[in-house]
Order: sequence, then C-alpha cells, then structure tokens
Amino acid sequence: MKSLDPRLNRVDIYKYQQELKPKASMDQFETYEVFVRAKDGKAMQHEGIVHGPNKEMAFLFAKEQFSRRGACVDLWVALTSDLMVSPISDNEENIYDLVQLEVDDGGTTEAYEVFHLYKRGKHHQYQGSLQAKGFHDAYQNASEVFNDGKPVLNVWVIKKADLLCSTDEDRVIWSTLSEKTFRDAIAYKALDKIKKFKEEQGTGNKL
Amino acid sequence: MYGGGNTFEKLKTKSVKDEDPEKLAEFEARIARGEKIEPSDWMPDLYKRQLIRMIEQHAHSEIIGALPEGTWVTRAPGFKRKLALMAKVQDEVGHGQLLYSAAETLGKSREDMIDDLISGKSKYSNIFNYPAFTWADSCFISWLVDAGAIVNQLANSKGSYGPYCRALDRICIEESFHLKYGHHCVIHMATGTPKQRQMMQEAIDRWWPPMMHFFGPSDKISAHTEILMKWKVKMASNDECRNQFLDMYVPKIWELGLTIPDPNLKKNEETRKWEYTEPDWDEFKRVINGDGPCNKERLAVRAMAEERGRWVRKALLNPKSKYVTPLA
Repeated sequence: MKSLDPRLNRVDIYKYQQELKPKASMDQFETYEVFVRAKDGKAMQHEGIVHGPNKEMAFLFAKEQFSRRGACVDLWVALTSDLMVSPISDNEENIYDLVQLEVDDGGTTEAYEVFHLYKRGKHHQYQGSLQAKGFHDAYQNASEVFNDGKPVLNVWVIKKADLLCSTDEDRVIWSTLSEKTFRDAIAYKALDKIKKFKEEQGTGNKL
Repeated sequence: MYGGGNTFEKLKTKSVKDEDPEKLAEFEARIARGEKIEPSDWMPDLYKRQLIRMIEQHAHSEIIGALPEGTWVTRAPGFKRKLALMAKVQDEVGHGQLLYSAAETLGKSREDMIDDLISGKSKYSNIFNYPAFTWADSCFISWLVDAGAIVNQLANSKGSYGPYCRALDRICIEESFHLKYGHHCVIHMATGTPKQRQMMQEAIDRWWPPMMHFFGPSDKISAHTEILMKWKVKMASNDECRNQFLDMYVPKIWELGLTIPDPNLKKNEETRKWEYTEPDWDEFKRVINGDGPCNKERLAVRAMAEERGRWVRKALLNPKSKYVTPLA
C-alpha cells in the first residue's frame, strides 16, 4: 500500500534495501559506560552504556539518553575498555577478601576512581577517588579506604584522567524550561472531563 | 512498547541436559533465592539465547513502534500535542537504545541485531505492522498499546537478568507519561464533537483485533516454557497478561461511552477472567510472517535510515577503536 506518511511518498524508500550490505564490525562504534548523579547529595552511579565515535560525542549521547527531564546534576563517561573490572562474588562474600592483586611498586602516582556493586540487580555506586601507582595498587588501596563492612560483590576501577566529567559550568544543560510540563505525567489531568461527560450523559444531554 | 507473543518458540541450542549439573544447580539456586543474574555470571546456553532474542525483539519493537506514531508528529492537532508526541517518540527510541545495550551484555553485537531486524530474521511486535490512518489511531496507540506494553514490561522487570531489569525500571518510569498523555488524547476525542467521537470509535474498531493479538496466542505449557518460568525469563503467561490488560482498561474504555467490537467480551465474575471471541490467529501468523499491511514499509524505512547514515558513521569512525562487550 501507499504510505500514509506524505514524507515517505516523496522518496523511493525501497531502493535502499537493494543496496544494503551487512554491517562492518565497528559500524556502531565502541561503547562508553555512563555514570549519573541524579540529585545533589545522592551517590554517583552507573546507569548504562552508549555507543559513540569518541568521548565527547559519547557524553552528548549520554546526556540525551540518561539525563532527560532533569534527573541529573552530574554526568561522567568512560570507554568500557578503560575500566578494570574485578570478578563478581556470591552475595555474602566480599570480593576484596577473595581476590587480592599483586602490586607493582613502579609507575607514577595518579588519581583513580572506584565503584562498588553491593547487590545483584542494583547499580554500581561511586565510592571515591584515591591516589595509586596503577590499577592493582588502586584496587588494594580501595579495599581498605572504602571498606565500610558491607560485602562488596564487584569492583570497577578507572583512571580519573580517562573519565570525561561534567563541570559546574555544564549544569546549565539540565535546566529545563518551566513550560515543558507536557512531558510529565502529572500535567495530564482529565478526571474533571470524564466526570462532566458522565453527568451530561446521566441527564440525557448525550453527545 | 512491546507485546510478548512470538518470543518463546523452541530454540536450536545446547540442551539443558548437556549443561554442567553443578553450575546449573548453583544458577537455579541463585534465581530461587530471588537474586539477579549479572553478565559475568555463568548461565545456561538456553537462558542466554532466549534472553538475547527476547530483549532484542523488545528493542526492535521500540524502534519500529516509533514509526506509526512518528508519522503523526507533523499532523498532530495543535502545538502542544505535537511537542508531547515528539517527546514520546523520542522516549521510545531511547528505550530501544537501552534495550539493545542490555542485549549486548549477553554477547550479541548491535551491528548483528540491526542487520537481523532489517533482513527480517528478527521479529518485532506485530501490532506495528498495522497503519495509523487517522489522529485517533495515534491516540489509541499512545494510550492502549502503551498500556499493553506496560503490563508486559512490569512483569518482565521482575525477571532474573540484572541489565534487563535495570533498563525496564527506567523505561517504566517514562511510560507513565505516555499512558497519561494517551488517555488524555482519547478522552479529548471521546468527549468532543460527534465527528471526533466517531473517529475515536472507528479507531477502536480497527485496532481491537491487533490489540488482542498483542499478547500472543495462549501458551502451550511445555517443559520448555516451564523451565523459562523457573529461570524467571518468562514471568507471566500470554493469557495472564491479556486478562490483566482487559481488567484494567476495558472499564476505562466503556466509561467513555465507547464500544468494543466483540459481542462476547465480558468478565466472568466467578472465574474473575475475561471471556472473548478467540482472536484470528491465522491472521496473526500471516502478518508476523511478513504479509501485513505495513511490514514492507516499516523495514524499508529502517533500511533507509541505516543506509543514509552509513557515510556519517564511516567518517566518524576511529580506525584504532576496538569493540569490547559492555559491562552492565
């Protein structure tokens, strides 16, 4: 049938299928892990991934994907392959007790960021920053610095320099215009209309 | 937006009997304790493949589902409705992205998923193979197709795979706006002029059969479905989802003085179940297999978008980049 969309009738939409080839392996780019702080005072946490050709574009895609409707005050992105990931432990076991890493004393000291998973099905949560001489050193330090007695199931470590983070100046990107309420469920009140409709029907004043 | 339905056929996969019994027992005990499975956990082949297929189909449904509604963005009545519909369509595409990401954690690349959609190998929700003739059709989709999807999605969000549950939690929050917006649109039409009311009634008459198909045929309870329920991949039967939808929305349609084109539709007060005319499952199969009014157009539009964007992606690609499976 002819399309009901006038825009589609102005182009030959079917010619592209004849030219279609299977996608090349990196057609959709690499993946970036996205971290979001929903409100001031709340912990930064992992929210998901985006695909992107570079960190800057990944940041823009992450902003669209994970911080729509102002549920964000801080956004970080990092290339998936830049993270060091520990194995995952069973629920009552602390992964820091199960896995200890050998630390090489060489290397220069720099800042690392640490994330913990406390429960399967939940999000990885940001613990804080520490100085270390490498990923193993950061992991071992984290086991002491961020040990609050709760068993940690899974640890992610990343160099601070590998993260692209929003700054205070960027906060303006989340200021939503007050008249954009058409995107909120609460803006759609219709009970009065239904009530009036029922009353009109009841009095024989049918539509 | 998503309807189950066609997702639980038998797969050619490693038999559960061939899995390591010790690992399988641990895996099943974890699910029985109510814990989630994370991507780096051991999982049976059948679990992984079934989840990939289910999440992938869900993602395709979000993307293809944006097409019949997207058509109406430029013709929605008034600026406010245009803005709201645009926001909704953008949400749906975002949901597609979230779901593709969840499926990728199981090891299938996004390139392969998009290829399988366009080639017709992977399916999407059958209801999007029907056309939205008038604005009232768009209102029906926004309210009732989304309502059906929410029934499915809420059930699935209690499932066992961590990344899928996290994606669904986020999706369900955004869907609450869709549902309210859709209901508002339908109320506006149903309580409007006689012509608007007639348009709304005609849309319901057109969309009711595909809406009943939306939840899929009655499940054949085989050993296969039983195991998927035990593993919390399948959370409710197709009939349970359909019944829940009817329970929640038929009274809301009737209260607007609109009718539903099924003389046998009624709730059996004893069984608490809805009775209805058996949907035409031959039509359902015919449309799913490619012979619906819009199948060809939907895939052609998707192929066009991929092909037109190819040069942009190629220009942006860093040749040194290397794919690794995303984490969670």
